[in-house]
Amino acid sequence: MNKQEQQDYLDKYKKAKEKGVPFFPDIIFKDTIVVFIVFIILIALAYFVGVPLEARANPNDANYTPRPEWYFLFLFQLLKYFPGNLEVVGAMILPGLFITLLLLLPFIDRSPKRHFMTRPYASIAAIVVVLGIGLLTWLAVNEAPPPIQAAVVDKAAALYATDCANCHGQGIVIPEGTDLHKLIAAGNHQGMPAWGGDLSADEIDMLAGFILSPNGSALFTQECASCHKSPVLASGNPVQLQKVFDEGKDFPAHKDLNTPDWKSTLTPDQENALLNFLAAPDGQRLFAINCQGCHGEGVGFSGTKEELRAMIEKGGHEIKMPGWKDTLSADDLNTLAQYVVDPEANSAGSTMFGKYCAACHGDKIPAAPDEASALSIIALGGSHITMPVWGEILTAEQLDALTSYTWDTSQGVGVASGEKLFASNCRGCHGKFGEGGPNPTFPGDMIFPISSSEYLKTRDDATIRNIISQGQPDYGMTPFGSAYGGSLSDEQIDAILGFIRSWEANPPSVSPPKAPPVVTQPQELSASQIYGSLCAQCHGVNREGTASGPALDPAQLRAEFDDQALHDMINNGVLKVAMPGLGNMFTDDQVKKLVILVAGTETGTSTGSGTVPKPPTNSTVSFNDQVLPIFQAKCSMCHSSATTFGGWDSTSYQAVMTSGDNAPEVIAGDPDNSYLMQLLQATNGAFMPPTGKLSDEEIQIIMDWILAGALDN
Amino acid sequence: MSESDKEGKEVGRRNFMKMTIVGIGGLITAAFGIPAVAYVMGPALKQSVGEWIQLGSVTKVETGIPTLFKTVIQTQTGWITTDEEFSVYVLTEDGQNYVAMSNVCTHLGCRVRWVADQNGFFCPCHNGAFAKDGTVTGGPPPRPLDRFESKVENDILFVKRG
Amino acid sequence: MLANLGDWLNDRFGWRGIWEAIFLRKVPHVNWFYTLGSASLFVAINQAITGILLTLYYVPTPDHAYDSVVYITTQLPFGWLIRGLHHWGASAMVVLVVLHLLRVFFYGAYKFPREATWMTGVILLIVVIGFGFTGYLLPWDQRAYWATTVGTRIAGVAPYVGDFLLKIARGGPELSAVTLARFFGTHIWVLPTTLALLVVIHLYLVIRVGISAVPAKDE
Repeated sequence: MNKQEQQDYLDKYKKAKEKGVPFFPDIIFKDTIVVFIVFIILIALAYFVGVPLEARANPNDANYTPRPEWYFLFLFQLLKYFPGNLEVVGAMILPGLFITLLLLLPFIDRSPKRHFMTRPYASIAAIVVVLGIGLLTWLAVNEAPPPIQAAVVDKAAALYATDCANCHGQGIVIPEGTDLHKLIAAGNHQGMPAWGGDLSADEIDMLAGFILSPNGSALFTQECASCHKSPVLASGNPVQLQKVFDEGKDFPAHKDLNTPDWKSTLTPDQENALLNFLAAPDGQRLFAINCQGCHGEGVGFSGTKEELRAMIEKGGHEIKMPGWKDTLSADDLNTLAQYVVDPEANSAGSTMFGKYCAACHGDKIPAAPDEASALSIIALGGSHITMPVWGEILTAEQLDALTSYTWDTSQGVGVASGEKLFASNCRGCHGKFGEGGPNPTFPGDMIFPISSSEYLKTRDDATIRNIISQGQPDYGMTPFGSAYGGSLSDEQIDAILGFIRSWEANPPSVSPPKAPPVVTQPQELSASQIYGSLCAQCHGVNREGTASGPALDPAQLRAEFDDQALHDMINNGVLKVAMPGLGNMFTDDQVKKLVILVAGTETGTSTGSGTVPKPPTNSTVSFNDQVLPIFQAKCSMCHSSATTFGGWDSTSYQAVMTSGDNAPEVIAGDPDNSYLMQLLQATNGAFMPPTGKLSDEEIQIIMDWILAGALDN
Repeated sequence: MSESDKEGKEVGRRNFMKMTIVGIGGLITAAFGIPAVAYVMGPALKQSVGEWIQLGSVTKVETGIPTLFKTVIQTQTGWITTDEEFSVYVLTEDGQNYVAMSNVCTHLGCRVRWVADQNGFFCPCHNGAFAKDGTVTGGPPPRPLDRFESKVENDILFVKRG
Repeated sequence: MLANLGDWLNDRFGWRGIWEAIFLRKVPHVNWFYTLGSASLFVAINQAITGILLTLYYVPTPDHAYDSVVYITTQLPFGWLIRGLHHWGASAMVVLVVLHLLRVFFYGAYKFPREATWMTGVILLIVVIGFGFTGYLLPWDQRAYWATTVGTRIAGVAPYVGDFLLKIARGGPELSAVTLARFFGTHIWVLPTTLALLVVIHLYLVIRVGISAVPAKDE
């Protein structure tokens, strides 16, 4: 624009201005109207839409999808097209250039033309820029993954990344025959932690599957995860999984759904990868899913490993149990039949079963309704059962794992499951579910549950390993570790540990039976023990009688009843006063002994052992002369006014009676409910002193003192 | 249409525009002003609801001597919740009726103390002095110590704060 | 009475001269597109008023920012309105300013003699964007935090000095209390004073050279 053009413009503008209107009110009126509309819109937005406020900023939230304010979206989108080194172009150079152009526009466009139709290039450029920004914004809005459906994550890969990748990097090469599930669950001696405590069995499966078949995991995420929220839902039975591929659209569970025809969409390699991921080549699990139904916990196979693999792979052959009547004697047949119907009934049967049957039946005892039918099946031979052709169902990797596991268990060493080892080594004392029970070493002591989540949470793997291998002599548990004279190798202990740990994630599904009452082992209980646990509840520990039962004075009893009457009373109960009959619980012999215990014989001897609660010695026990010295000798190192463990101070009468976290620790006249006595006698599992039980005499003194009213004398 | 008519119409139009401008301007000003005032005054106008605060057992109160009860109460100010110590002197002459008095001097808000030797409350700031029933006995305080409504339930003393 | 007061004041302040110069000046006939500038100015005033009101309660620290915003929105009378007007005003500001710019562009109004007016306008646009960027972080919610994390990251893209710029923007390597404080300071002190100064110059220039006329077809 030259001087002349500038002057022309100014002249023209002057004329336009003269023909124009005053700024106020004409122009301002229009402004006011528009301003008012804008204001109304703002208020409406504030009222009807409100202001979004999301959750408080959380710098640790990695899942949040950042979105800028809408007017920055086009820039945000633009950056997507400038990868890597070029990012600076999108982030700085382009916007910088644009701003500079905009700023210098009056000096770039110097033509005198003003109407937009007369300067097409500028107008078109502007329209292109506006449309471009609009398009980018639109793209950003539509491309943005909605935060809720935030990309389907490969859960297995994520688990691997958080738990394993730190040490193992991107992947692990697994030596053939490794029981991966067990290894992950129990850890190893090279410092790999036992994940069994942190991960559920399903998660460990998922990890094992991922490690062996990362592609399968990716395929699952891609193809299945939109319906099957986690691999767990789809994993499990290889037979079912194989059916999905074999039956395609006809697979019952997929029939009514709009799923692709998996039969034709997946290549054999992909099928293999998926199968390996979903049913991880984990011998133990494969065995549990596929074989346990018929073979129990293991089979006794006597051939070579290769033969075993061939047998599993080919399957198909009819398995017929031979008739045993020619091989075994009638007695043996009966024993076996008894054992099959009731495995507890006849222990000789167990040995025979192991000898003749376990090779095929494993340790799964076939069910039979009664002895007669069991006997006829055993004698004449069993029905036909066809083993599936596993080669058609399992992948090569799975077959290898299954063979390896089955082989190892059939050899009875090493990799045998922790559960099996637990059953043979620990179950006797700890119960099938680790629920504990009476301590066979210390009569009257109870073994506390080791399957409670509280117990498992508060003990780390090293602790449990040590307990198993070194034993707990204080509690009567012998060492099991071979290094301490026991029978278990480190690996076996690890297997047991893995099994125990599995309770934490999957508590025993059958609720553990209550600590077995005396009934289970009737022959082991002496009369005094029966009296102490049953009769004493009503008749008093020292037969002094309570609110619910009369005192039992031998002389008086003898005067009123003869032996038979007493026997009947105990055996059948006394309906009138709701005294239960003990005949169902104990042998006749025990009842007889009880009669002698309560009423004495003519000679007055009782058959009780040393722990029979004796009637209080008639001379009252003195606290200061008899009880306090015991406390001083045995308790005061921990329970004094200076060191009051458990809050209890044993150094004075006042303190004994009133202090303690469970105060009162002593309830006068009631030793059973006095916490002190419970600890001294280890009634509830916990016991004192930790260095060893007090002598019976000492306990008796304290008990007598409490019985006599816990006096300060 | 005559020239003057045209001019008259023009004036009328301008007047209408001016009135519209003033009207809308006033409306917008009010739309800002009224909420702004409410917004600024909001917290000041908030009625604090009197709540009963548990002080403790009445047995702690010695007859005839003001007893200091301290208790921690949670107060919500704005968006912050704080623990605040709340102190009350409780006096009973007959073991039946209890008088709960604030320990805040009515002069400038310092905390008064009971001085047993002189049988009175004394303020450490400007020598204000109160009798044991809270009446002013000397110094600048303009009125007796503030009293709280109190009640006794199951031998537990409560005062109403609000 | 009012007239007398007006006269008295006029003798001292000379306001009638100013009034005539600004409001009674003649302006070419223009259309409704010419109201966009005034609308932008109104929204700017709206932002100033509501912004000042928000600072009465808002606290710019990570510990309190979010809580105080919640308090404003849910506890205070008309808090929702004040915050709503400020929030939506920010968007409206961007829309109006850009439309205003397009109007000026398509009417060729940036040409002689209004080059300086245009340039102050472009700088005003940048300031408005700066307002949006700094204000976005202040509620300290997820959206704010992460958008700003990404936004400031862009500064780090610059060659050689990127890292340095990023640290300046954030006041350290990470988003922190320092970031919040400096964004707040920028948002309520640096940008508003810049904006006010530029608006005054912008308006002065508009009044001095006059509103451009709607160009004719052949212009």
